[in-house]
Amino acid sequence: MSDPQAPALELVNLSKTYGRRGKGVRAVRDVSLSVAPGEVYGFLGPNGAGKSTTIRMTLGLIAPTGGEVRLFGEDLRRHPAVLKRVGSLVDGGAFYPFLSGRRNLEVVASTHGAPTDADRIDSLLDQVGLAKDAKRKVKGYSTGMRQRLGVAAALLHDPDIVILDEPVNGLDVAGIQEMRALIRGLAADHRKTVFLSSHLLHEVQQVCDRVAIISKGEVVREARIADLLRQEAGLRVEAAPLDIAEAALAARWSVERSGDALVVGATRDEAPEVARRLIGAGAQLFGLAAEQRNLEEVFLAITQPETDDA
Amino acid sequence: MLDALAAERLKLTRHKATWFLVWLYPVLFLVAYLIAIAVAAAHGGGPSKPPGAADWISQTAIIWKLPDQTIGRLLIGAYVAVAIAGEYGWNTWKLVIPHRSRTSLLLAKVALIVLLFLAAFLLTAGISLLFTWIEGAVRGRAVPTGVTASAILDAHGRAALAGLAPFLFTLASVGLAAILTRSTIAALVIGVVVAIVEKLFVQLGPYLSPYAPSLVWGLYHALPGYHLVNLASWVTEGAPHRTPFPDGSIVALDWTTSLAVAGAWTAALGAAAFAAFRRQDIN
Repeated sequence: MSDPQAPALELVNLSKTYGRRGKGVRAVRDVSLSVAPGEVYGFLGPNGAGKSTTIRMTLGLIAPTGGEVRLFGEDLRRHPAVLKRVGSLVDGGAFYPFLSGRRNLEVVASTHGAPTDADRIDSLLDQVGLAKDAKRKVKGYSTGMRQRLGVAAALLHDPDIVILDEPVNGLDVAGIQEMRALIRGLAADHRKTVFLSSHLLHEVQQVCDRVAIISKGEVVREARIADLLRQEAGLRVEAAPLDIAEAALAARWSVERSGDALVVGATRDEAPEVARRLIGAGAQLFGLAAEQRNLEEVFLAITQPETDDA
Repeated sequence: MLDALAAERLKLTRHKATWFLVWLYPVLFLVAYLIAIAVAAAHGGGPSKPPGAADWISQTAIIWKLPDQTIGRLLIGAYVAVAIAGEYGWNTWKLVIPHRSRTSLLLAKVALIVLLFLAAFLLTAGISLLFTWIEGAVRGRAVPTGVTASAILDAHGRAALAGLAPFLFTLASVGLAAILTRSTIAALVIGVVVAIVEKLFVQLGPYLSPYAPSLVWGLYHALPGYHLVNLASWVTEGAPHRTPFPDGSIVALDWTTSLAVAGAWTAALGAAAFAAFRRQDIN
């Protein structure tokens, strides 16, 4: 029996090493995170960071070399049937190309063990905008259509948690907006948990409650988006000469040039210290204000620290 | 399990390989018989010697001998390769694995392959019986005395049994190759090589034995090739397949030994396929 109070998804020191131990490549290193029921959770990372490997381990497609995947409190290795409560979209919707979209959903429904509910399939096809193309073979679908069919397949058996790997890939602007509304609706209206990876950070910022940022196989930050943006807020400094100001601040914080100003990786509380250093170095200070970063800037700052330090 | 089987049916029956490699047989036989009947009707009468009951029945049971022929094994292997390795090519294991255990997914696939071939062969055998009778009627020949329902069932049953071991061995060996290589073409090539080498070794083993007598003798007994042929011989002839070696010795084993060796090979390959699939990372 699963624990109703348990997190919908919990990864505990999850690791994956390819190749022989010792000489192998560690694709995922001790990833731990917890997703509460009803939460929309973003999983971010640059290409090759280990996002897809982590998601595949969560779905039982790849065997971890260490750690645990727990779904609704149950260890996936011991209770693989718990995956019945999971809906998933990986690789942009991989389907049988020689079958129609509708027939593909019937295959998924039968594989899952649920009788093919024609109304449910029709409703989902309509919901993802594929009602008119339902009888067309999938090999004639565009990337965006496959993606939408993938979302329909993920929702087919009314899962408790939906795991989406890059769900807006290949979608046009209108499709992205529809997907955004769909994902928010899953959590808000249907109390579904959503775990999604995406490289479109603007989308993640709009739909997710919390995020984990993974880099080189390790989770380097996990926080509510609002907290993350607050923690990673910087200060915009207008000073002259800019070279002297930059040298004075770079010794302590990350500094980026932004036109005639500097963006300093310091918190609001550190503003007096910034001012003292500038004046101490002989620079003239014309302006000092909090700079709100967006998720993309935060993401780059976290995943490319060597660039900032340079 | 029935749901998984239904899912396999939904996908595989719509794939063109099912038409080209499974339903090919009844269609081909039907066309061949229609041509033969048209020719008989056009020319009137037939060969002066009508076949005897045994030949008449044997002619209708040809389809069951397909798995024992190299070409038959290649065609069956090709379908197994498409059905199993196709999931890697279409990238669709990711779609279905989270919904059901890997063992039951593979088991459903194997069961459907067996059922499809059984249905196709039964249909082909039915067509053979019906059209052999029609062809005889067109030629003005009566069904030979001795062609009874029990004689037909006995002959077809024996022929089907003789084809069962090579069919299952092909299924297991190509299935394992499909899972390990994740490629339809590679699995097919391996299936072709195994089928040809194994048949060739049964024929050429005695000629190779002077160069390495104990090795060839051991391989002849340990590899499945001779045992598959021997089982078919026991089922159809009621006697062992005899292979004389240049040193004067003869390999002619009892059916239980061959059943044990061929069964062990098939079971080991099948178990290896399931074990490999269960442990495999689907990237």
